[in-house]
Amino acid sequence: MLTRIYHIIRKDFLVGKRERQAFLASLLYLVAITFVVFKVFGTLEGPTRMGVFWIIMVFISINLVGYSFSLVSDRRRLNHYQLYDPVEFLLAKLLTNIFKLIVAGILLIGLFMLFSAQGLKNAALFAQIYLLASFGLVGVLTFVSSIAVYSSNQMSMVTILSLPLLIPVMMIGMRVSLVSERMFFDTSTGNSLLMLFGIDLLMVVLSVLFISFTWKP
Amino acid sequence: MKLAWWKLLAIPMMLYVILAGTLIPLKPGIYTYSPTRITAYEDEKIKIQGYNTHFEAGETKVWVKLLNDRMVPAHRVNVINETNLEASFKFTTDFVREDPAFADATLIVDTPSDGYSIAPNLRLKASEVKNRFGVFMDTYPLTRLTQVDDFKLPFRQILHETIRNTFFHVAIWMAMFLLLLVSCYHSIQYLRKGDLAADRTSASLTSVGLFFGIAGLLTGSMWAKFTWGTFWTNDIKLNMSAIAMLIYFAYWLLRNSISDIDSRARTSSVYNLFAFTSLMILVMVIPRFSDSLHPGNGGNPAFAGEDLDSTLRAVFYPAIIAYTLLGFWMAQLYRRYLDLLYNHND
Repeated sequence: MLTRIYHIIRKDFLVGKRERQAFLASLLYLVAITFVVFKVFGTLEGPTRMGVFWIIMVFISINLVGYSFSLVSDRRRLNHYQLYDPVEFLLAKLLTNIFKLIVAGILLIGLFMLFSAQGLKNAALFAQIYLLASFGLVGVLTFVSSIAVYSSNQMSMVTILSLPLLIPVMMIGMRVSLVSERMFFDTSTGNSLLMLFGIDLLMVVLSVLFISFTWKP
Repeated sequence: MKLAWWKLLAIPMMLYVILAGTLIPLKPGIYTYSPTRITAYEDEKIKIQGYNTHFEAGETKVWVKLLNDRMVPAHRVNVINETNLEASFKFTTDFVREDPAFADATLIVDTPSDGYSIAPNLRLKASEVKNRFGVFMDTYPLTRLTQVDDFKLPFRQILHETIRNTFFHVAIWMAMFLLLLVSCYHSIQYLRKGDLAADRTSASLTSVGLFFGIAGLLTGSMWAKFTWGTFWTNDIKLNMSAIAMLIYFAYWLLRNSISDIDSRARTSSVYNLFAFTSLMILVMVIPRFSDSLHPGNGGNPAFAGEDLDSTLRAVFYPAIIAYTLLGFWMAQLYRRYLDLLYNHND
């Protein structure tokens, strides 16, 4: 099973030249939007900086992950149905998406550090919350994109379905990142991290449970 | 025609809940009193305003309950009318700051016809003149108070008359949970057997559940206005239930955006299960981890013990059943409409 998942991922990176282009386009979009945000605000300080960071993060992840099931031609989808097991395909998609989002996120953190000329105050805690939140975002969006494939207006459907689910992830991420930036004092960060981990786990379990129902028309 | 007994049950129960919930009077209670501080050795006159009280019927007594569960009586009670009176106190012993029995006190008004009513947060202040040897004061046990058992709703500070919203806001949400749970059962049935009728049942139950959810949010918002001061607070449970409602709105949109009947049924069944899990986590789990104004969250007591007294129970539990039955009735009507649409398109 693991080797097959590995093959799906490798195929995604090798064959999907168009997808690679789309990924690079998303990264460029990220750079541009961060540049625009810093030009518009002038300086970003305090909680606003973290808030803007998470909002950009959410929209980038919708862009990167939200359409991972839909940007495939019908003919290739038929090919997928014949070749792959739905659960393996989903797990491969999750792993690719996490990889993509982590690359994008590191770029985003780098840009924020560059533009605001400030480092991370508690890098270890920030890395933890960032990874957990990314898993959450990827879990929600992969699930939603696998569901929204058959709806008539996919583009808006992905946003509508995912945003309410992303709000809790974003809120926990915001709170803990404020703690890691020493803007806010809270002793229960462990609790928040645990809750976020629970949400991640739940998303993965639910997507694995339901993928075989939404996979084929 | 088959007689649906539960519909016949729903009508009188709904009537009972509406009538009993709005007409049963509140128990008498102390609405306000001033001043809220008493200083030792000084003649203190506390003005008390009651609600639903009958001070003029019989001999009204006023007590101050100390933290060691002993009471000190007022030496003079001047009844002005049924709802207003003045009580004079003179504490002839010093309130030593270190003695916890004197830190906080409770004001109690006792009338023979209504029973006793209490008001918390009376502060006892030590005298400016230190080390005065006072006269030993007589204190009395709590058994002196008259107990009256009557079928009335409890009087709670801040809540006052809005306590009736328990029968509407809380009961509607409970009924919504039940409806959505049954809807999930039908979704699972659809996914297992592929019976489109089960999917229509599930969709109709979810729609009614969403309607109940909106009703619950509106009644809750009104309740918040009269107890917490604003229509919408930043309370975690409010925000989480708003998110849960958004998820169910998304369900409705998703369902209507897919034209193919089978993939619509499958997708919306899956999303329904997913939405219910999210609802449970958002409304039942997350608020317990952080501060909330709602009962049962952030260290607040839940519905237990004296919070839900026998009179409240006598209306609250029927209210849950009544709303659930009403919801199933509404869902059945809506499902028949969906059935007609389905047969028409066939």
